[in-house]
Amino acid sequence: MKGILYLNQFFGQIGGEELADFKPEIREGLVGPAMALQAVLGNEVEITHTIICGDNFIGSNTEEAVETIISMLKGKEIDIFFAGPAFRAGRYGSACGHICKAVKQEFHVPVITSMNDENPGVEMFRKEMYVFKGGASAASMKKDVSAMAKFGLKLLKGETLLPAVTEGYFGRGIREQIWLDPPVTGADRVIDMLLKKVHGEPFETELSIPKSDRVAIAPAITPEELSTMEVALLTSGGIVPVGNPDRIQSASATKWGKYDISQIDDLVKGEYMTIHAGFDPAAANNDSDVIVPLDAMRKHQKEGKIGGVYKHFFSTVGTGTTQAEASRMGKEIARVLKKDGIRAAILTST
Amino acid sequence: MKLELGNFYVKDICFGEKTSLKDGILTVNKEEALAVIKEDEHITEAELYIVSPGDMVRLVPVKEAIEPRYRVGGGPVFPGVTGDLMQAGDGTTYALKDMSVLVVGKHYGGFQDGLIDMGGEGAKYTYYSQLKNLVLVADSDEVIEQREQQKKNKALRWAGMRLSEYIGAVTKDLTPDEVETFELEPVTKRSKEVNDLPSVVLVLQPQSQMEEGGYNDLNYGWDTNRMLPTFMHPNEVLDGAMISGSFMPCSSKWSTYDFQNLPMIRKLYGEHGKTINFLGVIMSNLNVALEQKDRAALFVAQMAKSLGADSAVVAEEGYGNPDADFTGCIVALENANVKTVGLTNECTGRDGASQPLVSLDEKENAIVSCGNVSTLIRLPKMETVLGELEALARDGMSGGWSNDEILGASVKEDGSIIMENNAMFCGDRVVGWSTKTMAEY
Repeated sequence: MKGILYLNQFFGQIGGEELADFKPEIREGLVGPAMALQAVLGNEVEITHTIICGDNFIGSNTEEAVETIISMLKGKEIDIFFAGPAFRAGRYGSACGHICKAVKQEFHVPVITSMNDENPGVEMFRKEMYVFKGGASAASMKKDVSAMAKFGLKLLKGETLLPAVTEGYFGRGIREQIWLDPPVTGADRVIDMLLKKVHGEPFETELSIPKSDRVAIAPAITPEELSTMEVALLTSGGIVPVGNPDRIQSASATKWGKYDISQIDDLVKGEYMTIHAGFDPAAANNDSDVIVPLDAMRKHQKEGKIGGVYKHFFSTVGTGTTQAEASRMGKEIARVLKKDGIRAAILTST
Repeated sequence: MKLELGNFYVKDICFGEKTSLKDGILTVNKEEALAVIKEDEHITEAELYIVSPGDMVRLVPVKEAIEPRYRVGGGPVFPGVTGDLMQAGDGTTYALKDMSVLVVGKHYGGFQDGLIDMGGEGAKYTYYSQLKNLVLVADSDEVIEQREQQKKNKALRWAGMRLSEYIGAVTKDLTPDEVETFELEPVTKRSKEVNDLPSVVLVLQPQSQMEEGGYNDLNYGWDTNRMLPTFMHPNEVLDGAMISGSFMPCSSKWSTYDFQNLPMIRKLYGEHGKTINFLGVIMSNLNVALEQKDRAALFVAQMAKSLGADSAVVAEEGYGNPDADFTGCIVALENANVKTVGLTNECTGRDGASQPLVSLDEKENAIVSCGNVSTLIRLPKMETVLGELEALARDGMSGGWSNDEILGASVKEDGSIIMENNAMFCGDRVVGWSTKTMAEY
């Protein structure tokens, strides 16, 4: 079987930060960490090529870099794809994630990368691929490469995969039932947990509830104030101009878009649609105002209840989107609104 | 209250001349047993079968499981249901162990019914594949609900209880193999040693979401939907005060057998006086309206507090909407400084990526999880089917479907099946004996 590895300019032995604008290149055979990877893969998988790209180049020209690399890979035999390890390097981690995601989408092969838990790439991509828990620096190169390779072999051989924590990758948010071996009944587990909890000892829940990051509800706006204020429309319902110009993902979104509505009163069929993959889109495609109620807002505006509607509406997709990504996008949108002095917004879902 | 359970271990079941129990062999006179079943004129067809662990037999649609018992000194096994009201949990009851009476629809299944494979790879999904089972396959004249997805299954469920009482009566003049004693001192009359241990209440949330009578779990024959949380002695639950209902996707359901043997109660009894002080059971319920959910949580927390409970275990018979009752109850208890552990299953979807409970709260920091209701399960054809296999696809059983764009129907032409765990009969065993948990991938 054949595999290919992605590296940045540093580990691809092109050079350091000064060469971070290095454009994607594909080399036959093994470069840098590819040798360690090949050593663990042994005779089972041959790493035929190494791809190298500068972190800055892919960071500022993501789409171009991804497209170039995908076209380089076309026609190559690929059974599995590796990227990194990226350790704690943020841009490198993000690059590994983008490339792995594109390779998985294009070639439908398993993709594996590795990052340190402080690498922002982990939160961006853990739901979409196997991101192994890597060390902070290149000192753990051998260990991290070995973990990726061993798991890759397991995947290719179709062996039974164990839970994320056992295999060593960041959980992808996929929860499945397993039988405990040796078997321990629910009643026994309850008592064990209960005794630890009442005695103030550490215990491990079997279902971690994510910490909610609540924002205090702002004081109400008086009708008088509202009649002079512009109100912004935001949605996680995936309403976009037909064609989806910002290529917002249909699930697990990492992007948001803003679309000019200053000259229109209605989101008409054929010009706006939803790209949200988590609900039946028929009604929203027929009339996108059911999600982004521009028509109703214009009516309020005419009646003088609101001062106006902000010139853009903002859109992303909520389904499968991580709290971390949602929170980042929310902050980015809030900055735009604050800059323009907007103090009221309506956020709609599906 | 003191309950003595006299256990008779059943090694084998067979049909024969006289309904009797000798040397662990239960003999059933089929005609006599069928006559008991047909005492209800609504039963139109009935047949009995015997299945044992490892048999290549598939049972579907399974409606109920009951442990055959006999109340020593007279009285119904299920007070308020199969006879007059009387105190359960105080006295002696005989039980036939390692077996159950299973009730299977001859034709029609519904939302609440399940599937049991006695052998092969499907056997691990239900508890009942480990038992010797006397299987009643029957039909009724309840034509009005034959084509309804939600069925009360009244005639068949009651026939199962009559049959189990008839079978249980074989123990009448016999000496049990062992006697288990369940006794708790009154809450205010316990020794210092016991009082110094952390005290625990068990909060049960049996299924009670149907506003219309006939579907919900019954407490001494009373519809749990019409009930506010109430303090009960655990012996009452172990001794027939609670019977299962006919609502909720089946893997989340608690059968009457589950109530009679409730492993969480047995475990708390086992720890009582050693590591904990088991105060008793707060029997709550599951509701539809938010106000009802809030009211139930309020009552539970107040009772736990008044009883001086240091801690609580909360178990829910259901998922989805009931998760709100489950979470609400745990939050109310934690707010009352009662350290709480939750016992539940999850619904993470066929791909495992959905939010595990409909309602989540950070205060739910100690959960024991027993499985994913929507795991897809593929099983090969089984040599023998008791009941009607097509019911899985045709009748709106919670884990079956008649058509799916990608997966097709649940029942294939070659007799193999594809279903969600949802339809495994009482499969998630949230009452305490699940050896399943959930892991992240």
